[in-house]
Amino acid sequence: MRYLLISCCFLMVSCGSYSKKHQLTEREISNKFITNPYFSDTSQDFVYKANIQVYDNNFGGLLIIKKIEDGNHRVVFTTEMGAKLFDFSITETNFKVNYILDDLNKKLLINLLKTDFKALVQERNLVSRRYIKDSFDIYKTTILGKSHFYYVSDQLDQIIRTGHRKEKVHFLFTDINNNIANHIIIKHHNINLQIALKSIQ
Amino acid sequence: MNSAEADALKSLVKQQAKTTKTITSAFTQYKHMDFLSNDIVTKGTLHFKAPNLVKWSYVEPFAYSVVFKNETLFINDEGKKSHIDMRSSKLFKQLNSLIIKSIKGDMFNAEEFIIEYYKSGENGLVYFKPKDKKSASFIASFQLTFNKQGDVEIVKMIEPSGDYTKIVFSNKELNNPVSDALFTN
Repeated sequence: MRYLLISCCFLMVSCGSYSKKHQLTEREISNKFITNPYFSDTSQDFVYKANIQVYDNNFGGLLIIKKIEDGNHRVVFTTEMGAKLFDFSITETNFKVNYILDDLNKKLLINLLKTDFKALVQERNLVSRRYIKDSFDIYKTTILGKSHFYYVSDQLDQIIRTGHRKEKVHFLFTDINNNIANHIIIKHHNINLQIALKSIQ
Repeated sequence: MNSAEADALKSLVKQQAKTTKTITSAFTQYKHMDFLSNDIVTKGTLHFKAPNLVKWSYVEPFAYSVVFKNETLFINDEGKKSHIDMRSSKLFKQLNSLIIKSIKGDMFNAEEFIIEYYKSGENGLVYFKPKDKKSASFIASFQLTFNKQGDVEIVKMIEPSGDYTKIVFSNKELNNPVSDALFTN
């Protein structure tokens, strides 16, 4: 119990540090939830040409995202020639691998994809803190036990995952039209990994 | 299709495959997944030169080309070039050989596939179901539609889930000169 308390305190200190380090000014929470609107339309197929850079390797494919119903997204990655590499179902409480190519069936990789894609598609996120900085409203939420900061101007511009007082992963949404983010970059800072997505529909 | 019709189609396709030295064709690819509202449609050009040079060039809605040459896969992804050595991957080797066979239609190997013959209007429709368990885990069946000349018009690759990739060829030209230089990426 004592260790749990100590680690909770440590967590609070370390999370507080991100906001302090980046000079975020705390404000009262105005909305219970922060919404990511980019994958919220069930009538839309979201199809992106993906370019993945891992260290010196570069490879591409198509990332296909579909909202099946509230709190339920399908995330599929195929090669340009149509071969399925993985197929996940992501709900608010569950993560299911519908298919993954044998060569990619590694726990570490699946966990990385799970945390990234859950943060990418999750629509309703419970706000635990609210800040402002420059022209941004910043909302803190927790996804799979990790702190995420949502930077909102006229629209959701970026999500930053933090850990140990540092920025771990950036999700950048640009070229936004009718609630569709035509360009998305997911950039990891602790490993040399970047996923660039360009809408093709 | 009765067995005489099946035999006639088989020998027509084999004869056609033997005399085909080059293929140039436009193609439209439909990726069907049950959960999507619409198929994902991509378009491009295919070049084939016997015995084993293949280039798929996607032009719409993105520029992407892939060359299968000497057991290497050369990729040009909107200007970003990379290659994969197929010798290290049995999967890629198998894929390459299946692609060449399916372009030519010459997949009538009873050791590899369970083969079923159907009619589709005036065309022949043949199902090739891989016997090998590993292949069957990617593709439940290849369905090739042949025209009266024994040419492949449609290749449909059906996954075990029922989702499929369908490639429809158009403006196909056989045995026109195709330069080796085309198969660089």
